[in-house]
Order: sequence, then C-alpha cells, then structure tokens
Amino acid sequence: MPGLGTSVGRGGATTAQQSLADSDAILIMGSSMAEQHPVGFQWVVEAREHGCKVIHVDPRFTRTSACADIWVPLRAGSDIVFLGGLIHYVLGNDKWFKEYVVHYTNASTILRDDYVDAEDAGGLFSGWDAEKKQYSPETWLYKGSEPKKDGGQAAPGHHPAGGGHAKDRGGEAGKTSQFETDETLQHPRCVFQVLKRHFARYTPEMVEQSCGVPRDVFLKVAETYAAASGRSKTGCICYAVGWTQHSTGVQIIRAAAILQLLLGNFGRPGGGILALRGHASIQGSTDIPTLYDILPGYMPMPFFDSDSKTFEQYIKQHSTEAGLWTKFEDFMVSFLKAWYGDAATKDSQWGFNFLPRVTGDHSELGYWLDMADGKLEGLFVMGQNPAVGAPNGRLQRKAMANLKWLVVRDLVEIETASFWKDSPEIERGELRTEDIATEVFLMPAAGPAEKSGSFTNTQRLLQWHNKAVEPPGDARSELWFAYHLGRMLKERAARERTPKNAALNALTWDLPTEGAVAEPVAEVTLAEINGRDLTTGKLLSTFEDLKRDGTTMSGCWIYTGVKPDEHRNVANERSAHDALGHGWGFAWPKDTRIIYNRASAAPDGSPWSEEKKFVWWDSEKREWTGKDITDFKKDMPPDHKRDLSKGGLEAIDGDKPFGMHSDGRGWLYVNSGLKDGPLPTHFEPLESPVENQLYPAHQSNPPSDKKERPDNPYASSPHDPRFPLVLTTYRLTEHHTAGGMSRALSHLSELQPELFVEISPELAEITGVSPGDWATIVTPRALISARALITSRMIPPVIKGRRIHQVGLPYHWGWKGIVTGDVANDLLAISQEPNVRIMETKGLVCNLISGRHPAGHAALDELHEILEEQR
Amino acid sequence: MSEAESSFRENRLDEIRREASQFGTVQQPGIRAAGSPLPKASPQTGYYQQHLLKEPQWTPLVPLYFFVGGASGSLGVIGSLADLLGDNDELARKARHMATAGSAISSVLLIADLGRPSRFLNMLRIFKPQSAMSIGSWVLSGFSAFAAASTLADILDRQVDGSPIATFLRTVGRTGCTVLGMPFHNYTGVLIGATAIPLWNNRVRSLPREFGMSGLQSAVSLLELVGETDSNALNALGLVAAAFETWEGLDLLRTHDRELAPTKEGFTGALIQTAGLLSGPLPIALRVASLFASRRKRRLRQAAAISGIIGSLCLRYGWVAAGTVSARNWKIPLNIPDAADVQLQES
Amino acid sequence: MSGATDHTGIQPGEVTAFLTDSTLCIGCKACEVACKEWNGISADGYDFTGWSYDNTAALGHSTWRHVKFVEGHITPGIGGNSAQQLSWEFSSDVCKHCEVAGCLEACPTGSLVRTEFGSVLLQPDICNGCSYCVISCPFGVVQKNEDDGRAFKCTFCTDRQKGGLMPACAKACPTESIKFGRLDDLQVEAQVRLATLQARGMSDAQIYDPTETSVKGIHAMFIIRGEAETYNLPPKPEVPTIYLKDAWKSAAFEAVAMVGAVVASFFFLGRKG
Repeated sequence: MPGLGTSVGRGGATTAQQSLADSDAILIMGSSMAEQHPVGFQWVVEAREHGCKVIHVDPRFTRTSACADIWVPLRAGSDIVFLGGLIHYVLGNDKWFKEYVVHYTNASTILRDDYVDAEDAGGLFSGWDAEKKQYSPETWLYKGSEPKKDGGQAAPGHHPAGGGHAKDRGGEAGKTSQFETDETLQHPRCVFQVLKRHFARYTPEMVEQSCGVPRDVFLKVAETYAAASGRSKTGCICYAVGWTQHSTGVQIIRAAAILQLLLGNFGRPGGGILALRGHASIQGSTDIPTLYDILPGYMPMPFFDSDSKTFEQYIKQHSTEAGLWTKFEDFMVSFLKAWYGDAATKDSQWGFNFLPRVTGDHSELGYWLDMADGKLEGLFVMGQNPAVGAPNGRLQRKAMANLKWLVVRDLVEIETASFWKDSPEIERGELRTEDIATEVFLMPAAGPAEKSGSFTNTQRLLQWHNKAVEPPGDARSELWFAYHLGRMLKERAARERTPKNAALNALTWDLPTEGAVAEPVAEVTLAEINGRDLTTGKLLSTFEDLKRDGTTMSGCWIYTGVKPDEHRNVANERSAHDALGHGWGFAWPKDTRIIYNRASAAPDGSPWSEEKKFVWWDSEKREWTGKDITDFKKDMPPDHKRDLSKGGLEAIDGDKPFGMHSDGRGWLYVNSGLKDGPLPTHFEPLESPVENQLYPAHQSNPPSDKKERPDNPYASSPHDPRFPLVLTTYRLTEHHTAGGMSRALSHLSELQPELFVEISPELAEITGVSPGDWATIVTPRALISARALITSRMIPPVIKGRRIHQVGLPYHWGWKGIVTGDVANDLLAISQEPNVRIMETKGLVCNLISGRHPAGHAALDELHEILEEQR
Repeated sequence: MSEAESSFRENRLDEIRREASQFGTVQQPGIRAAGSPLPKASPQTGYYQQHLLKEPQWTPLVPLYFFVGGASGSLGVIGSLADLLGDNDELARKARHMATAGSAISSVLLIADLGRPSRFLNMLRIFKPQSAMSIGSWVLSGFSAFAAASTLADILDRQVDGSPIATFLRTVGRTGCTVLGMPFHNYTGVLIGATAIPLWNNRVRSLPREFGMSGLQSAVSLLELVGETDSNALNALGLVAAAFETWEGLDLLRTHDRELAPTKEGFTGALIQTAGLLSGPLPIALRVASLFASRRKRRLRQAAAISGIIGSLCLRYGWVAAGTVSARNWKIPLNIPDAADVQLQES
Repeated sequence: MSGATDHTGIQPGEVTAFLTDSTLCIGCKACEVACKEWNGISADGYDFTGWSYDNTAALGHSTWRHVKFVEGHITPGIGGNSAQQLSWEFSSDVCKHCEVAGCLEACPTGSLVRTEFGSVLLQPDICNGCSYCVISCPFGVVQKNEDDGRAFKCTFCTDRQKGGLMPACAKACPTESIKFGRLDDLQVEAQVRLATLQARGMSDAQIYDPTETSVKGIHAMFIIRGEAETYNLPPKPEVPTIYLKDAWKSAAFEAVAMVGAVVASFFFLGRKG
C-alpha cells in the first residue's frame, strides 16, 4: 500500500478491472492474474482480442503466461532490476510522455544539496544510521521544504513502530507544499535528472546478468510496453503478492509507479496500476482495518510519544496545508463522533484519549514472535489459518502453545484450532497435548450466504450480499460475534466504572438486532460507516460534508456515499449502466472508478485524445464532466492557481491531478514516508544464491528485519552450499489460501488433491526425482515432501554463467480436510519488509532431495543433519 | 488425513511401482517408473496415453448369458423341428424343456446384470430396431413366451390326449421358437459387433456367425450330456458347427489387423485361442472318431460335448474380456500407428 | 458480456449448441465446478495424475466437464497466445451431443432421448443401467456409475434451458470461452473465429466438428490449436449403427444356415434304423 500511496496518494488499485479492456498493453508481473483473479481476467482477454499486447513476467510459465503474448522468465527476487531496466529504457529512448511528466509529476522539483543518492554511496541513501538500522529522511526533502520537527522520536511517517499503512501518502516529514521547480528538467538536482542517474546502470545487459532475461526478450517487452503510452495509448500494470511479499516489496511497486508516471498512464482509461488484492474483502479489511497502525479510512493510529499527547498535536502532525488531507481533522473528528458519540466533545478532545497508542511492533509477525516468547495471553483468530498460511509454520504452531487462551472462528475445524492435538509438532513429539495449557475455543462461523454484509474487492468496490439462509446450529456471523462480545464487555464495564474502562463505557454500541439469535442489522452498521449529519439526522452523501465541529459523524470517510439516504444502499445496487460498472456497487471514493482521473485530460482540461477521452473540463458549464465521477474539485478550472490560504484542493493548481499530495503531483521521487528510500534500489532477497550485482556492499535491503533467531534461522547469503536452489511459493486457482475453505469441499479438493512441487526436467535429472514421485524440499526452517510435477515451464535463469534452478510450491495444504499434505509455509522464514512488515515468500533458497521424508521425529533428525553439513 | 487414508495412498503407490517393474508400463495415472519419458499430450501420444473409449461395464453374468442364450435359441429350433422330421420325440422334448429353462435363466442373468434390476421392464417401454439391445430384449421376451407355450403344450399332452388348447399352444409355441430362435441364438454377436469397441466392430460380420454356431454346438452338446449320444443327427450338427468354428478360428489367425491383437495376445488371447481349439478341431476329431468306434461312441461324444461347452464358454468370456482390452488401446481410436512407440523411445 | 441479462431468449424447438474456444480458456476449471454444483454430482476421486494441472483425467459418470491441459514448447519471450508455437493449451471437454448419437441409438429403454433443444438427454428415472450406451459412444463420454447403477452424462442443462437460462458451465466461464447459443449461429461464429485466428498467424487452429462422418456433426464444437489427437478427440468418430446392416445380414445368413442344417440333419439322419 505505501508503494502506491506515496507515489500517487492512495494505497489501492487506481482503476477498475473493466478498464483493462481499454488498454493497449498490459504488464502482469508479481501476479498470475488468470489464476488468482479469473473473473477480472476476462477484461485482459477482451483487451487482448482487440489488439492489446499482454506481457507476463514470472519465474514460472503459469496459466497467465499461457494467455499472454509475451512471457518473460524472471529470476525470483530480481523485479527491481527488471523494472529499473524498463525505466532506464524509457528515459534513455525518450519514450516518456513529456507533457504529462512535466505537469503532473514532481519531475521538475529540485532536491536539497545534501541529498546523496544510493548510486553515489554504494547502495545507501543519505541519512542512514547504521546503529539503529534506519534512515532519517531529512536530507531527502524537497529543497525549500521545512522539515516537520516537533514531537516524536522520528520523522512523521518514519516511526520505528509504524506499519507503513498510515495514510500512506508520504511527504509528512516536511512541508511538501514548499518547493522549487525547473520546468525544463535540466537542473542537475531536479528529480528527473536524479532519476536518470539513479537508474543509469539498470541497462539491458544488467537485466540479462541479474534477472536471467535474454537481452532481446527484455527489449521486446520494453518496446511493446513503452509504445502503449502518449495521448492516444495507455498501458496498465497488474501486480499482486508476487511483488508485495518481498523484503523490497514496497519499492518494487514504487518502480512500477515511476514507470506509469513517466509513461503518463495514471488516471486514464486502460492505464493505471491494478493492485490485485486477494480475498473477497481484503480491500475492506484495510479500509475498515484489522491492521494495528491505522484507523478506518487510512488515518494513523496515534503512536505512544509526543505525537499523540494532545489531539491538536496529532492533527498538526498528520494534516497538510494543501490537498485533500487538509480535511484530516474533519475526517478524524467525525470518526471519533461515530465511535464515542456524546462522549466525544470538543472539551474531551473528541475522545482522542480513548484510543489506544501504538507502543511497538504490534504487526501480526511482531506479536506472534512475542507470543512465541510467552508474552501474549490470548488471541482471537477469525477467518484466518496461520498454522498453515503464515511463514515459519513450526514457529507459528509452537507459539500458540504459549497462549493462555485462543479463540478460533471458522467454518470448519482448521489446523489452527486443532494444533494442540494433531499438528506435525505433536506427531514429531516436539509438543505433547497434555503439556499444552492453552484453552482453545472453536466458534462456528456463518458462511457468506448466511449473513448480510459487504465485500470490498480489489478495485475498491463495495458489494452488498444479502442473507439467503439462516446459519446452521450455533454458527454466527462476525457482526453478531463482535457486537455481542462488545455488548457483554460494555455491560461489565458499566458495572466497574474505572479509568481503564472509560473507553469501553464511552463507546457507542447500540445496534438494533433482529431474528431468533439477535443478529445485528448490518445496514445500520453501514449507515454508521457512511456517516450522518448529527444536527438533522440525515445520512451524508459525500465526505466533503464532514465537519470538524462535532456536527457530523462517519465511521469511515472514504465510504461516505455508499448509503446516501435511508432507502438506498448503493453497494446493493445491481444495474450497471456503463462499461465501468456505475450502477453496480459503490467504489470509494464517491463511486469513482478510475482515480486521479483529472490526469485523463491535458493541463488545459481538454481530453488527451478522442480515443482516450474520459474526464474533461466543460468550459460552458464550468465544471468537470465525463465518464466517471471526477476525482478533483468539480468546479475548479484547469487554469486555477493554488491558493494556500484556502487549504484543501484549492491549495493545489488546477492542472495537478493527485489531490492527496500537497503539491498535487504524482511522485517519481518520494521525499519521505518510505523507510527504505525515496527511490527503488535493487537488493537481493534475504536469502539468495546470488550476489547483489548492483550494490555488492549491501546484499539485502538494509532496513529490512530478518528477525533472525534460533527458531527462525536463515541460510547464509549468497552461496550457502546446503541450499543452492531458489524457492518460490504461490497460489492455485483451485484452492483458497490456507485451504480451510477449499480442502473441506469435495469439488475443489478433487481438482488439486495433492501438494506438488514444480521443477524443470533438468533439475529432476540432477536430483534423481521421477515424475509424480515424492520429493523433499528443505530450508533452514523445515523440510516437507510433495509430489513432483516435472515440467518445462520451469526454466532455470542463467546468472553469470551459472544455472540457478528454481523450485515452485503452492502452499494450500495442511493436515486437515478431505485432501491433506505437508504445510509448505513451514519452509519460509518470518521476516519483515521495512515499511509494512510483510514476510518474504516469493524468493528464498532451498534444496531438493528425491524421496519422501520419514514420519515422526526422524524428519527433524534428517533436517538437523542437513543443516549441520558443510557449514 | 486419517491413518487409514494415508496407508491406502501408500499402498496405491506401491501397487503402481510394482506394476511398473513387472510390466514395464503403468496403465493408471500417477507415478511413472524412473527414467520413463514424462507424461505427455501430443499427436504421437494422444492425451497422456489415456484411452479415450470407455470400457464395457458388464458383469461376468453377461458372457454367461451369451452362452445360455445361444444354446437356448438353438435348442428351441431343434426342439421345434426334430420330432417333425424323424422319431426324435424324446430328444425334441428334452430340447424344448431345456430351451424353456434356458430362456428363464437368460432372463435372470440379464436382469441381475442391470445396474437397476428392478427396472428391467423398462426394456419393454419401446422397440428400437436400430438397437440390438432393444431387439434382443423383445426377442428374449418373445422366445421365452413361445418356449413356455411349447413346454406347456408338452405337459398338457401328457395329461390329456388331443386337447385343442395343447394343439394351439404347440403350434404357436413351435413356430414362435423356430422363428425367434433364429435371432435369439446369434443376435448377441450383433450386439457386441455394432459398438464403438474397435475389436468388436472389426469382426462385426463374423461375430454373429461365430456366436450362432457356437450356440448350436452348445445345444448339441447339452442334449448329448443328457443322454442323446445316439443321435447321428446331433453328431452331424456338432460336426457342422465345429467345422465352421475351425474355419472362423483360422480366418481370425490369418487376419493381421492390429485391432485383433487382444484375440491373440495376453490372457484374453489365450482364452480365445483355447476356445477355438475346444470348439473346433478337438470336437471334430472326437466326433469323427465316434463314427468309427461304436463301443466308445457315448464317451467320445460326451467328451466332444464337454469340449464344445467349455469352448463355447471360453469363446464368450474371451471375446467380452478382449473388448475391455481393446477399449484400453489408446492408439486405435486416434489412428496413431504403432510405429509411434519407436519414435517415442528415440526422442 | 459482464452483467448480461440472464435469459437467453431461446425457444424450445431451436437447436442449441456449445462452442468451446480453447484460445480464450484460462484453465480455471470453473466450468467443472459449476456443472457439479448445479447437477449435484459427487466428486469422483482424489488422485494426483501428474498430467500437468489435470487431475480430473476424463469425462465419466461424475465428471461432465473436463478441462484438458497440454504442455508444449516453452520459450522465453513467447507467451501462450503467440502464433509461433503451442506453449500450454487448455480445452474444456464435454459430451458432444452428436447429431447422430451412438448412445441414443443404442438405448433400449428410451432413457436417452433427443430434447426439444437438440441435445441428447439421459433420463435417470428410466435408465436401468444396462450400460449398452457406454460402449456405443465413439467419444468415450457416457459411463455407468457402479454405486448408483445408472449411467450418467452431461444433460446440456436441459432443465436450465427450459427456464430460458444458459447451461451452468457457460454461465460460469469468466472469459466466455464456452459459448452457448443457437447451433447455426455458433457454426457461423466458429468459422469467423477460425478466420480471425488464422489471420493472426495461428495456422494450427482448427474447428473440431466431425460433420463428414456418420456422426454428422456435433452440437458441442471445439476450437483447438494443434491436432485433435492431442486432446483425445477421435479424428474419425463413427456412430456404431453403421455396422448394423452387415451384422444383421451376417446373422440372418447364419440363422438360415443353422435351421437348414437342423432340418437336413434330422431329415437324413434323424430316423432310427
């Protein structure tokens, strides 16, 4: 999310999947879209049938590659080199969309004299503190931008406990509305020139050397994709966790954003970046977040230091003087009014002190390690299966044995719920059931047809689903569970009115319920999320009406508009009346399907071309109009000059489409907010058999955290002779993540009944593995066995004359269900990318042995043996 | 996974490995023997060498039915005509009774083979001339009725002399048995010949003849085993049938169509070739000998009868089982030549 | 066609068809699952085949849609949609609903019938499991379920068609690789599509619709790249009724001979003394 958020202002997909039909070229990388988004992929096929070129870059030839025009085999983990190569090509061959770049990006902005680029310092930017292993972004700020210094241990956006999702628009460390520019782009310290120098060594030759991609193939991709740019052509980039689950994940996405900004693709039909998120409501789970460091609508959770002592300070820290975040206080106050109702008054700082404070790494991997160290008492696991789905499965499961209590809510008894009796640890004698003191509660959950509610999918689209049948027996919805649990806690807090219970007592919690089991009315919750004018009681239709004086409330400002009046639930509407799907569901913000769409018009407000006409300025009606809700101030003319005194969108120019940023520009260069640098720089994965050819002094991403400890060991990189192969993990269409929802169903289980490992015929010969027979994959963390699927779709890239064999594993299997298998994620290490703390699953090292591992403790003995040899 | 399930999976893997080491190839999907070429879909290998036709799903009751039906039909004809043409009353009566019993047994066998036996009457919902199965159902029903009528006539004849009912039943019954005995004794050859199974439709012309003559030989054999070893007419019929079967057997051996491989190779080949011997040369030899050795005539003809019956059974079981082997040939329906095998090994 | 209205507008009496176009297939198997869900068919085995991503292996009594996976040449730079070579093809197989259907001709109970939509329907309430249809299908589609006792195959979702809906597989297919419509329309569409593909350089593309054989064409046509044999599609499928004439002639001849032999034997040798 911060990759996109810092580049263009919001951390989500910038377009709708339907818009792919208008693309002239589609680059799919870090994703196998045909497999994981088959329904959305129909628009890729539609585009392809109309002449669009589809390019798929992936270490394996997948079902997506089978539908693409060009497939590029990539060494897993070398994405930044490849994308950097494309950037280098675009800059070097003058393929960038000049008008767009000059007007709509910060290419012309000038940097400080004390800024040092990674190119000039062997891989590190200026501001690196080797002891703390973190950057200070002060030297990265624009020349003339005053650093925000007051309060806090670190610059805003760079808090060490942060999880990178807070409003992810970056630039908070300085007054980003203050800057100087050189519109000719010639100034040696302007972003454009710095960019050129930064990517100077990402040549086609470097791509061949580091990625293993033949030069001619790379150039074919570059030519094809760069050609889909300009006034009448656009290209779209689609990515998924193949990019995000890397120790440089955020920077990989940044590189793609730079490319799209240079080619002028954001905000235009057939353009933009489609961040392909996975589950039906994964987008929803960050919009109304289950992440520790954000509040609904991507507002930051206050951190435990002077940033959060007073509401005023907190607001100052996170507001901007220009751009949409000027309204931060309106959003925040309205939000607090939603949560704390009458207890939220100006005098009580709107209940700001009822909110907890972030004191450390409370991310899932962070607290799970705390759990492993016995520091956590209880845990709710709802709709997730970490025993199978999380990295370093052995540590995950053993950690749960340290809990006092565990509540698991799911449709079936998943591995997480039964770890105490039938996990591999029990089988191997590492844990004994009688010694596990954890009290485990398995609560049955209602399925999607058994409850009403909404999904928010990858294109920010809210779709309502209506309850069709009653859930069986004791199964209940999440809403029921959370509501009644909260109700019971509140009843207790009402009896013990201590300061500790003040927040609970202040919380508004009266939802109407209906039916035999007192199910809360979901639409009422939606109404609260949407927001109301508290003086009139009427529902609001736009977040622009939110106020900071306590007269409005909204549970999530980006959703305002989904329920604009008592009789409408836009998420439940199903009459699409145009190709983008208006009339079907609600896309935040304000049902805008392609965000930043001001950029689909030229600086003067006219469309770039007839073919790509999308949103334009109607000079008669004096307003923006077109095929979508304008992501801009509707009545602000293209020639408007910014007025900082007004704040908000009027404080940016009329030809600046990226209204979340205080300079209104798309950021080729991010002056603060990303902990690993303002520009993407290639580093090898935390485990790699190959050296970092670009920056030999720094093998892996300097601020990333390996969390290396005895129960989370690593191979030595590069060249650990025990683990010469590259391992990558991924999904299959047929199964759902950790398998709880698919391995319990016969119709899905039979499609892919067994865990298999994909290897090339060459590797099979070297290791003596027969087709379909068992093979064992080993990493420092674990060993597992899988059936060998030998295929020529796995092609070993050649790096410096050496064939680097790659091993592919889908990760859906566990020991429960109709079809079972070893847990692939046992092989992975827990690691944290510096910004969002996500683990690296897409590129690590392993070894492959023919045959099946023994049962019981003997498997661990075998692992131990392998780890001990040839250290 | 439960222990039972996991050990089942392990057993299957071992099974596959054993099949691979024993036969050099593995017919079922799963593991391939080490060093074997990767499973492949191509114009040379078809779709992973998976046979595209479905195997016949008949139980072993069906070839038995073929045998019983073939014999019954022939017995019906013999029973209707033998005593009209000579003094073979006893023989004819036995033949008629055995025809009736045989038709009843045939019905039981067919019904028992059905996936839903209680729905056997559905066979008579329609009459579909282009379906040999439909024709067979009606022929069996009709023949059973006429055979029963003949037997009833015999019973009545014993009780009452010159009963008009008996005469009516006799006439209708014998006419019916003769007329329907004709298709009943050999239609099963049409039944399997007019199918998608390459082996069977390759021999669509010879199968009805072979099954028919085999039925005749069985009828003769059964009558001899219930005492009619003196009948030279039966012996002659037996010789005619055996001669014909010999000729068919030789014709089969002479024809080298690759569809016919299951009749010459493997277990089914052994069964069919054995059937050929026991239905052809051996009974001929024994029956000819019986013409010259009057003291051993009974024994010789009984031996020929047993040989004929076993041969007829082997013939039916052999051909039906060979149909399954033929269905499993993945190359023939795709017109892929056998030489492709050689190409594969070389690549 | 996202968001298209549900009703097809097709009236009973109009012959409908499938056109399954592999060049649009993404190998997702939604068709397999949708078919099983709609028809309430059970799973039929959890066996790993090692045949690329195809663990379904074949059509049968409990599989009425089967996606085939064919791996060819994999070359860096060349995607599966390239005309240059066959890399990885996916093709969803189904009952062909032949114009002249072997199973239908063979069925003695009248369970198999031709519906008002031109499809071949096996009515499970009549079938008594004689399994004659099983060996009469030149495509190896229909099969008896040994546990149930009856034979089953694709119904062409006749129940859905009667309600004006398209078959479940076509409905679920995200890329409209499975096209459903009137037979004559789809025959034309197939030709148009073939021309388009060939214009793109895909000289290996072809329509599989064996009109020149005794089957006289199928109502479930396929567009495939490469040879039909690769997909276990028989190049010359025949409806087994073509063998009947010879068979019955032969039977009649032998029957007459048999009666003649009986008559002659008993006439000449059947008298005592």
